[in-house]
Amino acid sequence: MNKANKYSPENCKWVPQLQIKSQKYATICPAIDEYNFHPYSGGGKIIIALSYQMGRIKPSDELRDIVYKCTECGGCDVSCKFLNNLEPLEIIRELRERLVKDGCGPMPAQQKYIESVKKVNNPYNEPHEKRMDWLPNDVQTDPNSKILFYVGCTASYRRKEMAIATARVMNAAGIKFRLLEDETCCGSPVLRTGVKDVFLEAMNKNLDAIEALDVDTVVFTCAGCYDTFKVDYHLNRNYNFKVIHAVELFDELIRSGELKLTKEVPLTVTYHDPCHLGRNAERYEEWDGDEVQILPLVSINIPPKPKRCGAKGVYDPPRNILKSIPGLKFIEMERIMEYSYCCGAGAGVKSAFPEFALNTALTRLEEAEDTGADTLISACPFCSTNLQDGIKEKSSKLNFYDISELILMALGIDIGKIKEEAGEVA
Amino acid sequence: MVLEKEVFKEFEVAVGVGNVNDGEVITDVYAYNWCNEMFNFMEEKEPIPYSPRPKAVILPSTTEEVQKIVKLCNKYGIQFKAQSTGLGPWNSVSTDNSIIVDLRRMNRIVKIDKKNLYAVVEPYVSGAQLQVEIMKHGLNCHMPGAGPQVSPLASATSMNGPGFTSPSTGHSSRNVLGVEWVLPDGEIMKLGSWGLKNYPDWFIGDGPGPSLRGIMRGWAGAKSGIGIFTRVAVKLFPYPCSTDFKISGHSPNYDFKKPDFMRLYVIDCKNLKRLDEIIIEIEKEEISFMCSYLSGLAVMAIFANSIGQLMNLMPVGSLKSPLIIIIAARTKREYEYKQKVMDLIMQRYKLKDIIGKQYTPNSVFYGEALRSNLGLHGFIATGGFQSSCGVADSAKICLNTSQLNIPLKKIYIKKEALANDFGEGGWMSSYESGHYFHFESPTMFDQKNKHSVKGMAEYMVRSNQLHLLKHLGAPFFVEGDRMHDIFGPHMCNHNIWLRKIKTTFDPNNIADGGFYITPKKD
Repeated sequence: MNKANKYSPENCKWVPQLQIKSQKYATICPAIDEYNFHPYSGGGKIIIALSYQMGRIKPSDELRDIVYKCTECGGCDVSCKFLNNLEPLEIIRELRERLVKDGCGPMPAQQKYIESVKKVNNPYNEPHEKRMDWLPNDVQTDPNSKILFYVGCTASYRRKEMAIATARVMNAAGIKFRLLEDETCCGSPVLRTGVKDVFLEAMNKNLDAIEALDVDTVVFTCAGCYDTFKVDYHLNRNYNFKVIHAVELFDELIRSGELKLTKEVPLTVTYHDPCHLGRNAERYEEWDGDEVQILPLVSINIPPKPKRCGAKGVYDPPRNILKSIPGLKFIEMERIMEYSYCCGAGAGVKSAFPEFALNTALTRLEEAEDTGADTLISACPFCSTNLQDGIKEKSSKLNFYDISELILMALGIDIGKIKEEAGEVA
Repeated sequence: MVLEKEVFKEFEVAVGVGNVNDGEVITDVYAYNWCNEMFNFMEEKEPIPYSPRPKAVILPSTTEEVQKIVKLCNKYGIQFKAQSTGLGPWNSVSTDNSIIVDLRRMNRIVKIDKKNLYAVVEPYVSGAQLQVEIMKHGLNCHMPGAGPQVSPLASATSMNGPGFTSPSTGHSSRNVLGVEWVLPDGEIMKLGSWGLKNYPDWFIGDGPGPSLRGIMRGWAGAKSGIGIFTRVAVKLFPYPCSTDFKISGHSPNYDFKKPDFMRLYVIDCKNLKRLDEIIIEIEKEEISFMCSYLSGLAVMAIFANSIGQLMNLMPVGSLKSPLIIIIAARTKREYEYKQKVMDLIMQRYKLKDIIGKQYTPNSVFYGEALRSNLGLHGFIATGGFQSSCGVADSAKICLNTSQLNIPLKKIYIKKEALANDFGEGGWMSSYESGHYFHFESPTMFDQKNKHSVKGMAEYMVRSNQLHLLKHLGAPFFVEGDRMHDIFGPHMCNHNIWLRKIKTTFDPNNIADGGFYITPKKD
């Protein structure tokens, strides 16, 4: 939190100024859009961190509410860092960890699912032994494969259609994969609330289990798990396998001709970049340099310190996939890639502040509708749940599909059956 | 000091539940602002970046709600401070008996009049938002140097308002047309043609009757010390080139496809005497979109987006008296004409353009120039920056101010309180075809370093004194009772007049005058 006391010219509330395309979609921060008072913005939370560090404000329900009304989407981080070297997202996360240490966090609803992760290895309080129930009998797995499909809690219990579709696409491409028998929560929903010790436990459990297998690649259908393995695990412990999201694998398979999309999909679609797959999926690059004062008050990093601005998120693969589906028309929304607007579900918001999550989804859906698309696509089970809740809430005419379902359609596989399978075991 | 329960409730009735907050966290965050530490030091307080805490923060969404808030403030003797995009210490309250009226929910572009070239905006419309909407009609607006994230309404009514594109978009004080103003007693005042009884519209700023524009904003605005501005019309200008921009890549290394008819010149005038002649010559011809004198370090800063990059720009930083000029055109013919004029001026003064030869900027520079983002580069070096001096006058006076300030700044550079710009840090831009100029001295300090904050504060005070000693005119920061009372006797006793205005418009002293003036003295 030493980074807190610096000037922030309030860019945190807007998409990067050069990327503003309309007044309507100029903002980046769901929290300030919802609650309006400045402390809800990224800049405001930096000030809170400073005030807390200086002892000007004390732990309180008010403090906890404001700090946890944030999806940790990282939008403020990208906008701020266009010119500044502040780290708003790191400060927000560190502030949550500090509140947890001081007994002021997380929110009660979040504490409930954290207990559930500790008890049954998933935040939904579902029986651990039912984790593999999503798996249809006719999906082929290979216990000796070097590729592991890490399904994640949400795709296993709540968005089974994503797990099934991903597995079926891999089957269709002839990709052999195995599953982790004793898969447990990746720890993402725990980490985002600032409860670091439970997260580390989950991380170690998963890494120990995976490293005991002879796998070289782990594939994810859940953007949250992917981000957590790729960025957060990597920050805390080295591991010896490659992590890829299913969209990266599928894009590669399409380009190499191993996956042939031949069936026309006559939809007009727009794509929502999940924060976990986009800007937040950029790893922190190792930097072993020094901050050297070259003039009084002026310091530079030698060698230059890489700036984590969200540029290295997974942006092209989903777009390549969409562009390779015959008969499909793809239109972009205004806020995309590293300055995409959040779906509203992340960092414990969906459980603690469902109204905030839903309102944010409604904002994003309006943006999707404004493109003229009839279908919204994404690649994250949290986004999927929250955006579909929004579609229901506003009786939107938009269809919603996970990108793997769209690939199945282009392969000529009936996704109605998948919905049925997912429904049956839901 | 929080609001009494009954008072809180009345405010809540006025603006709706959820739009009033007097919590410790909310109010403490609103007490923070950039440069508060410096102003605290000047007031002999602890140099921390916090003002007194406001009693509450209130979020109105309409002019009527603003009126209700102001009337309640009068009823209960509570002061108010309004803010829109909220950048800078001027948005902070000066007493513990003030509330903040955050105008964030008033964010509508009320009208774009393409034919008569004006737009009507509410307080929380940012410059970038207005610009992007009018660009769709091939139009542009003036953007203050503070950047596109700030409010054009605040700049037009309550602040100073110089900007990088001034040769083609003027100055905020000159661009304000019709105004809707909630006076400190809660009454509404309509300025200009918006105040006409029959057929009110926004197209003129002065009248009906005597113009109140000077009273409303004067040289640098009242910073909410004379009421709350809820809607304002600002002038629009033809966009200087095509608005069909292409920006690709990812932050921070965006690629910008420069429009066809746009060219940057960076020329070294060698000395300020020549610069004075050359800038007037260029501006007389009315060919530039942007034309600024920047000191070497400032030139480096506008071309860099990190401190590391900045340090690699020594070739442009070593220019003695640089002028940064951008010409832009909508047609090839116009473009050729402007280049031809520039060529002639350059030949006459034997000038060389270093662009494309000694230096080629990243393409994103052009995007930032067109979207008025260059001012934000002032923060790259140390994270903290503020401008001293601040004068609007002839180029000669502006450049003289710059030169006289150098030895003073060097004292604080030597003390390691300010970052070393060789004392030269400066930005000068022309207005209205060279009829007047604006100069300020952006100065880099470290907000986290007490020694630096104290040094910066002392330097600011002494900079202002220098204006008096050397007869350089009113600087930017003649704000608050103390400064007005120092400068008043040297400037037609303006402090007496200003106090009369304040007491006439605000008989109960309800508008927080901390950065304006208060009625406490005769």
